[in-house]
Amino acid sequence: MGKEKALLSFIAVFIGLLVAGIAFYFYENTKTITPSVEKTISSIPPTPTPKPSLFLTIGKPIDEEVVQKRIVTISGKTTSDATIIILAENSESIISPTTTGDFSTTINIENGQNVIEITAIAPNGEKTKVLKTVTFSTEEF
Amino acid sequence: MMKKVLFLIIFAICLLTISLVEGPFTTKVNAAATPSASDDQIKDQLIENIASRVAELKLVEKRGIVGIVSEVSNIHITITDVQNNTRFIDVDELTKFSSPSAKGSFGISDITKGTTIGALGLYNKESRRLLARFVNVIAPPKYIYATVDSIDSKNLTLNTTTNDKKNLIIDIQTSTKISLYTKDSGITRSGFTKIKVNDEIVVIGFALAGKENMVAASRIIILNETIPPAPIQSGSTESAEKKMP
Repeated sequence: MGKEKALLSFIAVFIGLLVAGIAFYFYENTKTITPSVEKTISSIPPTPTPKPSLFLTIGKPIDEEVVQKRIVTISGKTTSDATIIILAENSESIISPTTTGDFSTTINIENGQNVIEITAIAPNGEKTKVLKTVTFSTEEF
Repeated sequence: MMKKVLFLIIFAICLLTISLVEGPFTTKVNAAATPSASDDQIKDQLIENIASRVAELKLVEKRGIVGIVSEVSNIHITITDVQNNTRFIDVDELTKFSSPSAKGSFGISDITKGTTIGALGLYNKESRRLLARFVNVIAPPKYIYATVDSIDSKNLTLNTTTNDKKNLIIDIQTSTKISLYTKDSGITRSGFTKIKVNDEIVVIGFALAGKENMVAASRIIILNETIPPAPIQSGSTESAEKKMP
């Protein structure tokens, strides 16, 4: 009889907790926040940095890269109206970028170290250049 | 009797709830085999080996650099590279030296201050030093953007002003290739007579020994009508692109 009472008490506590839990769950789901409590977070738009009139970034080749092919891809981004002049020891290429400013071409390189100069020239004559060293070598070490 | 039935129903609900909540976790625990101590050791060892190998691979890579020698000793060479950075090159007994003008053997003792060299080897990103496997004396070409001031047809030379306001004489040789670039036709073959005063030209040439203000042109491109002369930007992009990991 005593055991039965203890067990029933335990069950009663359990049911109580269960009911309280369910009630809390429903309370949390149906709770509404009044507008006075809500905080308005205003974000200040960042001041845009002035875009330079002419820029040149080179994606390929990586500076000081060692390659095993004599044909090297030169790619990058510049202003869309610029002219790109790529100079290597024994080859050159003059190209225009796409409307988005992207450009890509190939150039032949010589054995050993090659210093490649990539220059972007704006229609007003403004120039900017990037030098890349690319080494052709098949040596294993 | 009613109490007992109620008790049984509640007990069954509890059991059901517990089994539903605990079920997935219990299955997961059972599914994963408990690793033994030896398995853990092997796993740790493998992780350690892979990590050290990955670190090693990331730390050292093949690189080729070009620069002018500023200092040289028996085991080190210091150069100023094309981006104007000071670079350190280590040499050892495996390093091979060469020079196109060398007659016979050529070694580190033959390399002098002011020589332009190309070094190929293993670059350590941590120490920022290159362990050279090949060191060659080279003569990289000069790339010059200039405006033609006057033309000497008799001596086949061009007096020019470079973009950095230096006067430079361009020596045209029989092997010099002259091209003309226009947006419509691209690069087309041209000749010495097509070069005019005030033309903007690109010269790919080599320095002449003892003649600082003269360059022997191997190629000339006339940038006709396309590009007005203007000073070159002071390498802002270059400095932005410098990488010294």
